[in-house]
Amino acid sequence: MQLVEKENGEITVFELGGRLDSNTSKVLEDKVMEILGQGKKKVLMDFKEVDYINSTGLRVLLLALQQLKKIQGKLVLSSIKDYMKEVFEISGYTEIFPIYATQEEALAHFS
Amino acid sequence: MQPGFSLRLQNRLLELDRLADTVEAFGEAHGLSPKLRFQIRLVLDELLTNIISYGYPEDGEHSIFVGMGQDGSLLRFVLEDDARPFDPLSAHRPDLEAAVDERQIGGLGIHLVRTIMDRVAYERVGDTNRLILEKDID
Repeated sequence: MQLVEKENGEITVFELGGRLDSNTSKVLEDKVMEILGQGKKKVLMDFKEVDYINSTGLRVLLLALQQLKKIQGKLVLSSIKDYMKEVFEISGYTEIFPIYATQEEALAHFS
Repeated sequence: MQPGFSLRLQNRLLELDRLADTVEAFGEAHGLSPKLRFQIRLVLDELLTNIISYGYPEDGEHSIFVGMGQDGSLLRFVLEDDARPFDPLSAHRPDLEAAVDERQIGGLGIHLVRTIMDRVAYERVGDTNRLILEKDID
C-alpha cells in the first residue's frame, strides 16, 4: 500500500493507494498513531488510488475513528471507488464516517 | 466445459496475493464487472484468511483447494482444506477487549461474506472442511 502524507493547514491528508488488507493495513495504523502522537486531530483519508479493501482494512479505519473521537478529532474519507462503496455500506460505515466524492469536498468539511 | 479456475494455496497469508491475481485474470477474461471481481476477491480473502489464521493450530504446511465455476448466471465456489474441523463462517477474531464495538468488528469479514454471497454452506466430509458458496449474477 502506498501512503503519501500531506499537511493542509491543520488537516493531515493521507493519500492511500493499492491494497488496504491484512498484509498492509498496519502501515496505516502505525501512521495514524504517529500523527496522533504529534497532536494532530483532523485527518482526511483519500482513497482515489486504493483498489482493494478487506475487513482488516475496514477495521483500521474504525480504530482510527475511535482514537480520534477520544480527543474530539475528526476523520473524513474521500474518493472511494464505486465498486468498493457497497462494503462501506454493508459495514455501516456510511453512517459513522463523513464520506465525500473528492478530496476537495472532504477538505471543505473541516471549515 | 464451464468457465472456471482452480488452484491450491499454501496456508500462508501471502498466498492471497496469488489468489487475487487469479481472480482478476479470470474476471477480465470473462467480462466480469469490476464490482463482481472485487466481491469475489473479498469473499475468498475473508474466508481464506480465517482458514489460514485459525485452522491450523499446529501450523505445518498445508494446501487449500479453491475452485470456482460459472454456470450461466450462477457462480459457484468450493473451498476445501484438511484443517481441524473448522467452519470459517462462524469464526471471528478472538478479541480480548470487552467493548461491544470490538466484538462487532470481529465478525465483519463473515458478515461481508454472507451479505455478498447468496448461499453459503459448510460441511465436514471425512478429514476435509468444505465450503460451498453461490452467487447469482445478472
